Amino acid sequence: MDETVAEFIKRTILKIPMTEMMTILKAWDFLPENQLQTVNFRQRKESLVQDLVLLCESKRASLRDAALLDIIYTQFHQHQKVWDVFQMSKEPGEDVDLFDMERFKSSFEKILRRALKNVTVSFRDAEENAVWIRIAWGTQYRKPNQYKPVYVVYYSQTPYAFTSFCHLKSNTPLLSQALTVASNHHKIVKMDLRSRYLDSLKAIVFKQYNQKFETHNSTMPLQETLELDMHMDSRIIHENKIEKERVQRVTQETFGDYPQPRLEFAQYKLETKFRSDFHGGILAERKEPLRCLIKFSSPHLLEALKSLAPAGIADAPLSPLLTCIPNKGMNYFKIRDK
Amino acid sequence: MDPYDTPESTPRHGASSRLKGYFIGATPLRKRLESVRKQASFVPTPPRRKIPQCSQLQEDNDPQKFAFLLHKQWTLYSLTPLYKFSYTNLKEYSRLLSAFIAAEKQKGLAVEVGEDFNIKVTFSTLLGMKGTQRDPEAFLVQILSKSQLPSENRGQKVLWTGWFCCVFGDSLLETVPEDFTCVPLFLANGAETNTAIVGTWFQETFDCHFSSLAINAFNLSWMAAMWTACKMDQYMATTEFLWSVPCSPQSLDISYAIHPEDAKALWDSVHKTPGEVTQEEVDLFMDCLYSHFHRHFKIHLSATRLVRVSTSVASAHTDGKIKVSLNISS
Repeated sequence: MDETVAEFIKRTILKIPMTEMMTILKAWDFLPENQLQTVNFRQRKESLVQDLVLLCESKRASLRDAALLDIIYTQFHQHQKVWDVFQMSKEPGEDVDLFDMERFKSSFEKILRRALKNVTVSFRDAEENAVWIRIAWGTQYRKPNQYKPVYVVYYSQTPYAFTSFCHLKSNTPLLSQALTVASNHHKIVKMDLRSRYLDSLKAIVFKQYNQKFETHNSTMPLQETLELDMHMDSRIIHENKIEKERVQRVTQETFGDYPQPRLEFAQYKLETKFRSDFHGGILAERKEPLRCLIKFSSPHLLEALKSLAPAGIADAPLSPLLTCIPNKGMNYFKIRDK
Repeated sequence: MDPYDTPESTPRHGASSRLKGYFIGATPLRKRLESVRKQASFVPTPPRRKIPQCSQLQEDNDPQKFAFLLHKQWTLYSLTPLYKFSYTNLKEYSRLLSAFIAAEKQKGLAVEVGEDFNIKVTFSTLLGMKGTQRDPEAFLVQILSKSQLPSENRGQKVLWTGWFCCVFGDSLLETVPEDFTCVPLFLANGAETNTAIVGTWFQETFDCHFSSLAINAFNLSWMAAMWTACKMDQYMATTEFLWSVPCSPQSLDISYAIHPEDAKALWDSVHKTPGEVTQEEVDLFMDCLYSHFHRHFKIHLSATRLVRVSTSVASAHTDGKIKVSLNISS
């Protein structure tokens, strides 16, 4: 086994948390069950890794096997990457031919190899007719760097592909081209949507988020809470009850009853004039707009935005600039005066 | 309304438990304390602040001397007056503090891997870092590491810097008794373990008390307005505000960056009184920013917590951290 491959396998296994070790190794399916039984999984991690690497050596693991392990690790740790979304389109009137996964894979790899001699391409099929592609980039003279790969998750029955953030921006055009041509599309466009949560991106882009789930709701609808309290003492009334109910209703209409897809941020580049009814005269003569960059960040942005109006921090309905995020499938915006 | 209703600050992480006690709690003086490096000081917030035409700082001909203060993040503390501190004993203090630090480090109290135990402490005065003649001189304490290798002959790396100052402290100085030196503002840059050790030594030697200085939203708005008001030939950085929204269960941060020329234009449109900055102007400036934001997003920023302001001149964070980026020499 090549030394670089051994090192690569070692480093990949080292990344795996002990709690997931068995699961991931089983998913990899390279080391058979009976061999795994012989390994002492209770020892210190470094020693365990050494034993596993020796086993891989004895089975002559190749770069291909190592790359597959890397894909599986990444599939378990999707949130460690930031994912962009690409949307492809066909020429209008083009025939919709049947998609052939094997043909796609070989075509994709061929296109990359034609352009770059040194590149490692690996595939792993996934559910929903999706395929995970791992690409390690090299250059004309240098072998591929296995430690900075790019991942592409392509849903073959849709025009969408998700790619992990790539430091080497120079390879993006090539990647886009390979994707487009291999999948028989004509054009590819990068959407203004980015997140760590692949599931959420899928939900937004495939419009799957507005399904009603049977979730246990820890927050009771406002009416019920109000009524309960009122039974205590009829002299206690809720101020602004009507307004609160209206806010609740409007928020529900805008955001729906379902759990929101998970995004970490939304960014708005504003170039709009300052206009205010209360501050007439301020910047009245200035023709130029105010150039602002506004960024909202949260562990779960849409849920946070949903809670603003009921908390009294925002008006209801919330601005369409914010509520359109899942519908438009964007979290990067450029806003100008019309 | 007392604008100084700042909440009790939490103990610094990293300070050992024995020292934690020193860093909690408010002193009566702290409530009246805050010296903004550049211009006005504040004592119960005046409704207007005069922009001083000429300060001691500006009379100093050597801006290079203060260059080391720039581009570093300083953590702020307020300090009660020092008992029997003398500017003539600085060499002695250097010696004593050096020994104290060495002793503390050998106790295993604050050990950093690979740290050189050969350290040197220097005390020096910072002439000119004051507002009026009455203000006591500012002074600087530095912990330097002495390189053990002869080849690195000039290897004196600055490990930690702290300086003490009093700028426009007139009202404070009136109440300070004899034998006390009043340098209420302490700024530290470097490892927190070192800050804790130096703090302990000062507290034991001069019977004083440090407490973390938080900067509340009200003061941050003043800083933002005053720094935006500075006339600049060239803007190095965008003007940025950061708000933290108290919503649950998820936290939300809103960052609002505005092109510095546009911020200045807004300020100029708001500013009416030459030579002074008034409360109304600061409020109006912030209000305009809030209203522009509300127009687009329907969110009331005034209901959230201002946590950080950053301009080309300087930036400040509510946890009591500031950084000065530009030396206004004109």
